[in-house]
Amino acid sequence: MNRRISWLLAIAGLAIAAVVVAPLLRPSSNRPAGPAGLVGQLAPVFDLRTDTGAPASLARYRGRIVVMNLWASWCPPCRAEMPDLQRLARLYAGRGVAVVGVNQGEAPQRARAFATSLGISFPIWIDDRQQYGRVYAALGLPTTVIVGRDGVVERGFDGPLTFQQMRSAVAGAVSGR
Amino acid sequence: MRVPALLAAAICVLVTIELVLPGRSLYHAGWYNVALAALAIWCALAARKRCAKAPGALARWAIVIVAFGAGVSAFAGVVSGLFAADNRTVVGAPGERVHLGEIGAVLAFPLAERSDGVRLVDSGNAARSIGARWSDVGSAMLRTRSRQVVAVDARTPGGGHLTVTQPTGSVFLSPVLLMQQRQQIAGMNLPYDSFAVPAAHRIVKAVLFTPQEAATLRGAAAGAPAVLFAVDDEEDRPLPHAIALASDGEAIALGGLQLRPSVISYPAVEIVAAPSLPVVAAGVALVVAGIAALAADAWRRRKVVTR
Repeated sequence: MNRRISWLLAIAGLAIAAVVVAPLLRPSSNRPAGPAGLVGQLAPVFDLRTDTGAPASLARYRGRIVVMNLWASWCPPCRAEMPDLQRLARLYAGRGVAVVGVNQGEAPQRARAFATSLGISFPIWIDDRQQYGRVYAALGLPTTVIVGRDGVVERGFDGPLTFQQMRSAVAGAVSGR
Repeated sequence: MRVPALLAAAICVLVTIELVLPGRSLYHAGWYNVALAALAIWCALAARKRCAKAPGALARWAIVIVAFGAGVSAFAGVVSGLFAADNRTVVGAPGERVHLGEIGAVLAFPLAERSDGVRLVDSGNAARSIGARWSDVGSAMLRTRSRQVVAVDARTPGGGHLTVTQPTGSVFLSPVLLMQQRQQIAGMNLPYDSFAVPAAHRIVKAVLFTPQEAATLRGAAAGAPAVLFAVDDEEDRPLPHAIALASDGEAIALGGLQLRPSVISYPAVEIVAAPSLPVVAAGVALVVAGIAALAADAWRRRKVVTR
């Protein structure tokens, strides 16, 4: 009897110790900082306006892959990247991929003038409260987020991308890699 | 049997108090946890002594269960007190997601413009709201605490919006200043923060005054908090005549900018270590069951004797 009790207590004690101690031994999360940390999450949707005042929302693009580029006119790398984004938009026009430029915190006139000067024809959204910049954990500008057909964030990039990098990222999203 | 039962009850009460009144620094004190462990050892030794003199199998099992339950509760309390992370407050920016390694979950702070509360999102993307009352999340307890932050609107003199950035803040593109630093001004220890307006090549420092503190300053609106802005160029050199006070919601022209602060209440999250609720509950249940079994056995034996 005593031996049986001892064994039972030992097993029960070990099980309880495991339950109590296990959470404390959990390794720290290694989620990346910045927009890449949101991969796998549903992309937040905010009701914005375009630079011409029309309503703009990510919800309208469900079923398409969306390349969301966060930018501002005072950002030199954003200016350098814009022509490649325009090229990407033209390459994938009518193929279920949309490129959207989301201006962070500036007036529509300033954003429109900037886009016009660079010959940008893809939609320009005005995020005057910088909501996308905050929820995408932008570490700086430009920041690019690729949202899949189901509205889930597929890729997130901090900093400017080359045209090849953009193409590769979109191709991956299209093929589901 | 009184000694082990009393010791077990004391242990259960002490550990349960940690769950009912969480966050006290006492629970992390070395001497407190040593005392808890000592009580558990004393209970075990006393139970062992009583076990040898127990009148029957039921009494023996009951004593063992009481001691085991006390040991389980004490173990949960000591592990939480000595090995869990220290109490802390997480101040997140609106829209920020803060990873809590000790819990394996993410705190999602709402955008200030929305009325959603702070949510705790686990690895399976299941979310629960964290409110002002303590929420048990396993090895810790969380609750929100309101604090004052400043949302800044920056525009050109013509009224056009300008991007606000916080290069040294936790969220680069947040126009909400968390006011976590402190600065001494005129004998007052005041919350302080800074932000940049890159398009205008400006860096702006902001100091927050409560309504009572603002009342002592000339130019502040009565009964409202106020923010003192100081505008520098992008080399951190102060601009001439570029320091002024703005009441909550008031727009002022300063250093080539139009600045308007909005002082808002925004939640921070307090995290405190706590013993595992299911384990403590199991320990308490074992102690109660064991004491009840002992009482029932003693009553049964008295009845047999008196018959």
